[in-house]
Amino acid sequence: MTINDMKPGQSARILKLNRGLRAGRRLFEMGLVPGTRVKLVSRHPFKGPVVLQIANTQIALGRKMANSVEIEIQE
Amino acid sequence: MAIIVIGNPNVGKSAALNRLSGSNILVSNYPGTSTEISANSVKIGKKEITVFDTPGIYSIFSEGEEQKAIRDLFAMEEIDLILNIVDASNLERNLVLSYELMDLGFPVLLLLNQIDRARSLGIRINERLLSELLQIPVIPFSATTGEGLQEVLKVLERTPRGKKDALAKEESQEKKESQFREVSPVGKESLAQERCFTELRTGQCNGHCGLCSIPATTCMSIADWGRVEKARTTAYMVSSNLGERQRILLEKTQAFFDSSLWGTPVLLFLAYLAFVLLLKFVAISEGPITALLEPLNQTIESFLSQILPPGIINTVLSKAIPEGLIIPFSIIMPAMLMVACIMSLLEDSGLLPRYSVALERTGSFFGISGEAIIPLSLGFGCRTPAIMASRIMPTASQRFIVITLLSIVVPCAATLGILASVIAAFQASLPIIVGTMIAVLMLMGFVLSRLMPREDAFIYELPPLRIPLWSNVGKKIKMRFSGFFTEVLPLLLIMSIAVRALLESGFLEIFHSMETFTRFLFGIPAEAFIAVLVTIFQRYLAPLVLLNLELTPREATIAISMIALSLPCLPAMVMTVREIGWSGLVKILGLGFLTSCSVGIMLNLIL
Ligand SMILES: Nc1nc2c(ncn2[C@@H]2O[C@H](COP(=O)(O)OP(=O)(O)O)[C@@H](O)[C@H]2O)c(=O)[nH]1
Ligand SMILES: [Mg+2]
Repeated sequence: MTINDMKPGQSARILKLNRGLRAGRRLFEMGLVPGTRVKLVSRHPFKGPVVLQIANTQIALGRKMANSVEIEIQE
Repeated sequence: MAIIVIGNPNVGKSAALNRLSGSNILVSNYPGTSTEISANSVKIGKKEITVFDTPGIYSIFSEGEEQKAIRDLFAMEEIDLILNIVDASNLERNLVLSYELMDLGFPVLLLLNQIDRARSLGIRINERLLSELLQIPVIPFSATTGEGLQEVLKVLERTPRGKKDALAKEESQEKKESQFREVSPVGKESLAQERCFTELRTGQCNGHCGLCSIPATTCMSIADWGRVEKARTTAYMVSSNLGERQRILLEKTQAFFDSSLWGTPVLLFLAYLAFVLLLKFVAISEGPITALLEPLNQTIESFLSQILPPGIINTVLSKAIPEGLIIPFSIIMPAMLMVACIMSLLEDSGLLPRYSVALERTGSFFGISGEAIIPLSLGFGCRTPAIMASRIMPTASQRFIVITLLSIVVPCAATLGILASVIAAFQASLPIIVGTMIAVLMLMGFVLSRLMPREDAFIYELPPLRIPLWSNVGKKIKMRFSGFFTEVLPLLLIMSIAVRALLESGFLEIFHSMETFTRFLFGIPAEAFIAVLVTIFQRYLAPLVLLNLELTPREATIAISMIALSLPCLPAMVMTVREIGWSGLVKILGLGFLTSCSVGIMLNLIL
């Protein structure tokens, strides 16, 4: 499962960032670290970006990026 | 003594520094406000302190211009203290950078900034425990309320000069250099510095080790993981959440703006409202301002024609000066004022970056990612700072696209104002002009994006919505608007005199030989073509030339369209060279000239 499979309002735990992702380090630095809890705030229509909540920050991710973050849905 | 301020983007570094030193650095509510390192001096007690404000970074070790500039600063200056600004409501992520800074071996002072906001979010932080765990001083701080200011000043006063052991530093320098000579094939200074920091982060991948095939941009080392782990544990230990609390109104509004369904339509509606407001404001204020200026103008005119000896100078000045005053005051001033207000509010509320997200998909059509909305919309204020703000773009080619669009298509507030007045004066067709501009924007974006395909890697941290601080908004409006008096007004006045002089002296007659040429290609008289060429100095001066000509609505429509889509003005060009070099500017100029001419030819054929 990836972030793209989440529905708004759902929470999940990050399992891993796909290897070979070019911006992987940037995701890591912005707090998308395996083990972290994220909540999906919204998905913009027409394959627009998704907005995630990590602790008290909001991060917008393009769909392609979102596809390379594997997660596990919680509750 | 030298202090360097470092922290994540948008945590309030500039605001904190303004509070500490009384400096006037630009503060805005989105990541990427400060794009350059700036030096400010403060006097605390008897100490002269230089404080460097830096652009926000997530990690000092990653690649990127900003990170490199900061690392270079460490090498160039004798830094005595790192002032680490931390967002108290996001301790876990912010502490990763703090651990990196502590690994550098410089003394660090940690400011828990935005402590006011953290409290209202129900977060409590045990700063004593945090200080003990990190073994550095920690001070709760608020740049907004001024809380903690005295404590910080006290610590700064106590901090000794050059605490870093001089001997140890020398030693490591020697070691570093000898290693560098052994390993590195090319003798570049910056590589040596790089190596210094690589060493400091034990076990950190520097992307040049050649031991694995993972590119440096994706590489996370054991040290990185270690710091994340430490930050997580520390944050968990020192902070506590006051359980369930009432959601404040601001958060509810934010949730609304960020909702999948409502967010985009509401943002677009707001943008439309702002545009209508701008037009209405200009239209309403024009009458009263002109009426107010009328007696003044008549006085100036009769005064000048009386004191000056009769002759050409008399005619030129007594006509040109009143003319040169009326347009700037009645049209450009209201337009600039309104744009300054709207932009400052968008910036400080945190709405501006939300447009980036909402319009990300649209941007992909132009080959740019969502971040481009920020520089492009800033361009409606003035293009020169907007070109600098284009640093927010993730890649150099996207940056080039943004600067090109800014230079050729986006009209700044002053241009907008004067275009409006010229359109009205000649009854030129507004829909055709706007339509042409939009068509060119689409076409240019489409072509550029095919030439330089973008990588789909949109990541952007959205700032929280905030209620704009009136003092900050006021400061920014003043700053944006002051350009009217220092630049727009004097330039327009001088230009008005120059144009009048050219007309009266009959100098423009020389260009009549070009008449057949310009008429054939663009359907406009030669003088109007001269106006198009004037854009190279300053775009908003160009329409002024038109005002003194006699043009039919059709001619005016073509000439205005050509002016609206031509070369960037001189200040913008200087900035372009600074940011992307001469080759970039030459490309943009060529493209601008080509665009302007093709627009003329096309409209001449169609209309
Ligand atoms: N509530 C609150 N807001 C703050 C504080 N410090 C900064 N801000 C806001 O945070 C935003 C970012 O500030 P800025 O200084 O530009 O951040 P920088 O990018 O780190 O330099 C601005 O909108 C500030 O008004 C603070 O202590 N409390
Ligand atoms: Mg700043």
